[in-house]
Amino acid sequence: MPTWKEKLASKMDSQLEEEIDVFETQIALRRSGKLDEKIFAETRLRRGVYGQRYDNGHRHDGIRTQELQYLSDMTKGPDTLWDAPGMQRIKIPFGGLTPDQMDALAELAEEYSDGVLHVTTRQDFQLHYVHIDDTPALMRRLAAVGITTREACGNSIRNVTACPLAGVCRDEVFDVTPYAKASSRFLLGHPDAQGFGRKFKIAFSGCRERACGLVNMHDMGCIAVKRVENGEEKRGFELYVGGGLGAVPHQAKLLDSFLPEEELLPISQAIARVFARLGEKKNRAAARIKFLVTKLGIDEFRRIVLEERKTMPVDPRWTGYLAAVEKYKEKPSREASPLNGRQRTEGFDEWYRTNVYCQRQAGYAVAAITLPLGDLSAWQTRGLADIARRFSGDNVRTTVEQNIVLRWVSEADLPDLYRELKRIGLGDAGAGTIVDVTACPGTDTCKLGIASSRGLAAEIRTRLAGKFFNLDEAVKNLRIKISGCFNSCGQHHVADLGFYGTSRTIGNRKVPHFQVVLGGKWQDNAGAYGLAMGTVPSRRIPEVVERITDRFVRERQETETFQVFVKRIGKQELRNMLEPLMQVPAYEQDPSFYSDWGDPREFSIGDLGVGECAGEVVSVAQFDLAAAERMVFEGQLRLDEGDYAQADALAYRAMLQAAISLVKTQFQDVTDAPDTVVNEFRTRFYDTQLLGDRYAGSRFAQYLFKRHASPPHEHTRDQAHRTVEEAQLFIESAYACYDLLTERRSTVAPLRPPVHTEKAAGIR
Amino acid sequence: MDVHRLGIKVFVAEPVPLQVTDFIPIFHTWIQKQIVQDHLLVDVHNYSHIHHGPGILLVAHQGNFSIDMGDGRMGLLYNRKQPASVTIHDGFVTILKFVLRGCCLLEADPGLSRRLRFRTDELLIIANDRLNTPNEDATFLELQPALSALFKRILDGTEFTLSRYSKDPKERFAVRVQTDQSPEVKTLLARVS
Repeated sequence: MPTWKEKLASKMDSQLEEEIDVFETQIALRRSGKLDEKIFAETRLRRGVYGQRYDNGHRHDGIRTQELQYLSDMTKGPDTLWDAPGMQRIKIPFGGLTPDQMDALAELAEEYSDGVLHVTTRQDFQLHYVHIDDTPALMRRLAAVGITTREACGNSIRNVTACPLAGVCRDEVFDVTPYAKASSRFLLGHPDAQGFGRKFKIAFSGCRERACGLVNMHDMGCIAVKRVENGEEKRGFELYVGGGLGAVPHQAKLLDSFLPEEELLPISQAIARVFARLGEKKNRAAARIKFLVTKLGIDEFRRIVLEERKTMPVDPRWTGYLAAVEKYKEKPSREASPLNGRQRTEGFDEWYRTNVYCQRQAGYAVAAITLPLGDLSAWQTRGLADIARRFSGDNVRTTVEQNIVLRWVSEADLPDLYRELKRIGLGDAGAGTIVDVTACPGTDTCKLGIASSRGLAAEIRTRLAGKFFNLDEAVKNLRIKISGCFNSCGQHHVADLGFYGTSRTIGNRKVPHFQVVLGGKWQDNAGAYGLAMGTVPSRRIPEVVERITDRFVRERQETETFQVFVKRIGKQELRNMLEPLMQVPAYEQDPSFYSDWGDPREFSIGDLGVGECAGEVVSVAQFDLAAAERMVFEGQLRLDEGDYAQADALAYRAMLQAAISLVKTQFQDVTDAPDTVVNEFRTRFYDTQLLGDRYAGSRFAQYLFKRHASPPHEHTRDQAHRTVEEAQLFIESAYACYDLLTERRSTVAPLRPPVHTEKAAGIR
Repeated sequence: MDVHRLGIKVFVAEPVPLQVTDFIPIFHTWIQKQIVQDHLLVDVHNYSHIHHGPGILLVAHQGNFSIDMGDGRMGLLYNRKQPASVTIHDGFVTILKFVLRGCCLLEADPGLSRRLRFRTDELLIIANDRLNTPNEDATFLELQPALSALFKRILDGTEFTLSRYSKDPKERFAVRVQTDQSPEVKTLLARVS
């Protein structure tokens, strides 16, 4: 029997080949019980081999939780069955792809996955439903075309992203591609980047103003800048650290306003060393570099990094690549030629308006391929590879908006290109518009997903696509981003209209909901994060989109942006708009509210059953939790008004209130003195792990403890914003904990009642 | 030759009276009842948004079923993932049995109101393994005897043709089986069994 190992031996980079051999051996060791499952889990994660929903062997089928009885009870990690299908993440540095690589990816999707390639919000590809036994062969076939999955997951430096227009952008200072490529290569497997407590994400952008690089939401972000020194123009970077989305978003802080290009790699290495040495290791919830930067302050962090830099032995790779940077050039497959006078087929003009970007190189354009939900089939991938060979050459890139772009297309070829894309079903207009909804995998395949982000995205897309050409231009250019939970993989914080999945119990049943997050800013490299407005049943989110966009069109003042509009209208008014949509009809009236988009199963979180009614204690808790929600909402309003001290105080009180609501279920007579509340809460819910991990509750408890122990010395917008966000998440975890408690008691307690009345909502 | 990664697609008779998404609740019901013999059914995935894509996927440990829309033609595709048999002939028989059983279940499903019919005058056999079954003449010559013997038996003497679906070396090796007759799937299943 031939093997891929033999067949591809001469085609793989020797280091990649050896790494894959090692991984295959580790698989064999685990199979024979000679490698601990925890160690194996981190090992496979660092090769991009990820878990997938239901891999613990349990799945709720809408009626009951089924045990999925695989033949083997062997595990590939704690509570992760060997035979359960998993996800393979494939790193594509700066999104750069060649047609040959696309052909290889298509083959792998067909033979080891489900025939579909999924583009992620970090320019990676993901394959789903992959068996772990197939992964070594899959990796070898990738290695043969120069792709590695190394450090695609795990506590490592993830895929280095960059603006997909880098090198052809009309606004960029210079092309960041060779720097992104060099960083990616230098840091891959670097010994100084192996001891992190959490992942580390890097992004490059060619300019400050545009969105493409999203530098502000990264652990480390680099924006191209130039300056003149001694009459000579020098390249460098504005260097940012400590940004991130996740449950609580942080804006990155400026570490250096001009980092010379020759210092890019050494300073990256110094940052990695500092993060590995000083970053949190035990508490994953506080282990990203953003927490370290916040804890130390940017000035102290900078000082430590620069000190570290001085101690490092010189590495020739730091500057070795720079000679090639000057010569870095992409090769178009066709001569430049203008579009003028070419015959245009039906639909071309609409597609051209939204999907074509004229490069700064005259006669060339970038064509965006709109991928619904970031998906394309193996057949389409092969077709697109052939199209790229003809029109674009090796100049293909994935985007963080889950699309693909073909660069260096001769403008005269655009009508033929469009016709060819239509032939393979990839000629949809609307790239980067409101119909081009971004969504993480959510409950489709992600273990952490709470609600169906893809189902909702598909529904919104379908509804908007039908009327896209009649939409007001101001609405067309808005962005919608959806995450299946608070972890922000769908990047909802930087959308005009963002949503993240959550759940509520109504009567004795669960109802999928989404938190509405408005006013995030995609432009200016993710320049601002939106704030949560309220939780709406999933079924009514399309109406939320419709109401808010309609009002934006009606009341927009001249060229007012959506962010300015949101600010002007005010959160209270927006909340008032949403409140009627927060109602959930009784199951008997409309059961559709109790299942998720695209999934007819009755909704459930994880594999927990639906409990029964709890009675009086529940009523008290329900009231208290609603009060906590009200407080945090008021905190948001104060934040908007610039009253940061009051915003912080309200958010803190909201957390205490939510804690009281739980404590009271066990200790009715607890006083409301903060020390007592926190102590009782810690003893009864945190130390006992009752808060649990269902909503990452124990992690969110730290927000309360931290704020209680260390009130802010000065009130800034950043600090207040963070506390408000943290309070919101803490309340979510309190709701989840309460759900769990009521279910354990086989009781039913509607945690948050349908918002039929102002009184019930407790918001006013 | 190891051919356990085989797929067989049976096409739906046209006109198709259903939307591809109509199959989502059906497959969920199949999981609730674990209705497919010899298979651990795991999950349902909706790919209806992909042009000529996998449509609706029913993921099982041993092999996936999908209401496949490849080439724009709806059909039930069964893609085997785990070894089904030792010999090539038995492998084909087993996989054909599984896909025909799936067709029978769908035709009888009350959720589809018996509106669905499969045609059996054309089948597509796909070898989902470029290493062991490259898309070339030699593969066809090697597999043809086993396929001919199988279809001679189950088509009950009816004339049939075997032809390569595509000669593009990037595509997977695939064989189209065509006949003039289209017996009911349950008849074909009885012959296979």
